[in-house]
Amino acid sequence: MQMPHGLDIARLYDEHAQALYAFLLNLTRDEADTRDLLQEVFIKLARDEARLCGVREERAFLIRLAHNAAIDLMRRRGTRDRTRENFAAETSSLFAPASDPDAATFRDELAGALAELPAEQRAVAHLKLWEGLTFEEIATALAIPPNTAASRYRYALDKLRGRLRPLYEEVKQAES
Amino acid sequence: MTPEIEPFEQRLGRQPVKPVPAAWRAEILAAARAAQPAAGTARPSPASWLASLFWPYPRAWAGLAAVWGFIFLLHFSLREAPPTLAQTAPAPAPSPEAVAELRQQQKLYAELMDAPGPREADRPRLAAPKPRSQRWDVAAA
Repeated sequence: MQMPHGLDIARLYDEHAQALYAFLLNLTRDEADTRDLLQEVFIKLARDEARLCGVREERAFLIRLAHNAAIDLMRRRGTRDRTRENFAAETSSLFAPASDPDAATFRDELAGALAELPAEQRAVAHLKLWEGLTFEEIATALAIPPNTAASRYRYALDKLRGRLRPLYEEVKQAES
Repeated sequence: MTPEIEPFEQRLGRQPVKPVPAAWRAEILAAARAAQPAAGTARPSPASWLASLFWPYPRAWAGLAAVWGFIFLLHFSLREAPPTLAQTAPAPAPSPEAVAELRQQQKLYAELMDAPGPREADRPRLAAPKPRSQRWDVAAA
């Protein structure tokens, strides 16, 4: 679908939907919310094509849109069903299912550990670990200072390490 | 930073995330297409138009505009106030005594000007002045 001024929404989807999907799923931990937010992002782009005018880093810009949409959703939801956060068993896992039992266990534990992180730390950890962004890029995408991004990542990693250490040692020993 | 953190991070980053469901693509693109303003009726909002106009340094442009605004304000605030009505109102008519005094002075001035005999400065010169060297000879003689 070619839009005026050359905005190709289909190309944008093909290039960035996977990254946005994983980011939103990690933030919301809900497939239906993730789908709604992903659609909201692309509808915003289609409605106002000037949003992308002059944007150099499409990925960072789209992550920012997605992050803002997710934060808005969490704020709307925050007042009426705060208990949603407590139903970890009902949440959608970020990770693909694994055939190897050890790998499957590790992914389940990791998903659980991620779910325990505050949303802002989870967002930074996701962009660093699964998008490979630098702290400067994360800072741009989330509109925070780079030092804040770095400190949030350090806290998140410490918590993940503390939670996953026994399992991680087991997996390492099994591999060696 | 502990030495184990590097391989730990690498292991986390290697965990594959779920792929976006394939069925979503058509649905989301259809929704985006439906939301797209019709061709020809699309009119950019003032904010987006300004953003595209001043991209890629909108803050710098906004700062420059603020500086110019400040300069204009300063200019207009320091400008002299326009003359008041009291200052521009015509002077009151002179009294008859003052008019009579003025006429008398005009008459006296006319009489002085009409005095016989031109003044020394007004008397025409008979010949052009001689060169300075000749004037010296005349003075010595």
